[in-house]
Amino acid sequence: MQQTVNSSRFGELEVPAEAVIDFPSGLIGVGGRRFALLTREESGAFRWLQETEHEDLALPVTDPFAFFPDYEVQISDAEAERIGISEPGEADVLVIVRAAEALEDFSVNLLAPILVSRQVGHQVINEAPRVDVRVPLLAGLAESAV
Amino acid sequence: MIGDDVVIEIVEVTGTTVRVGITAPRERLIYREELWERVKQENQEAARANFKEPGESPAAS
Repeated sequence: MQQTVNSSRFGELEVPAEAVIDFPSGLIGVGGRRFALLTREESGAFRWLQETEHEDLALPVTDPFAFFPDYEVQISDAEAERIGISEPGEADVLVIVRAAEALEDFSVNLLAPILVSRQVGHQVINEAPRVDVRVPLLAGLAESAV
Repeated sequence: MIGDDVVIEIVEVTGTTVRVGITAPRERLIYREELWERVKQENQEAARANFKEPGESPAAS
């Protein structure tokens, strides 16, 4: 099953149903409900969450572990229950990317990752220590290269 | 009341300052408003940022 999604950034897209993630609570501060997770060959490490009904709403995301090998997400049992995750590692983790002119100035939000499990997504507040909303994307790699 | 276990009450009003008390079970997380605000702002900026992909550049072959 394919769904047609209009995107002001990417034009008209045919999206497979399994690429659509339901966000019962939307994304913090920007809302939205159903987002297509777009993987675009030319974007390399970056993917996009494109709202399926709001063509103007799209956010770049990435796999945090590719850039921060030691990244951890900690949530309380109550929060895990709320979002329907019972086992650690059961959810896929994405973090939102804040783009800039130069790649060195890109940052990622490690404080509020997105957890996706069985096509349902939630943006949560990470309770792990030393996480911030605006961490330079390349900081983790620089650190592990030392 | 929020849900059936969170109570919010106005503790004190002094001029333009309002102190709000929140009573909730420990496992119920109360995020400080400023934390939430920062995430909100960061999401909004991420959604607005001019992310130029190679495929979007008119000069790309």
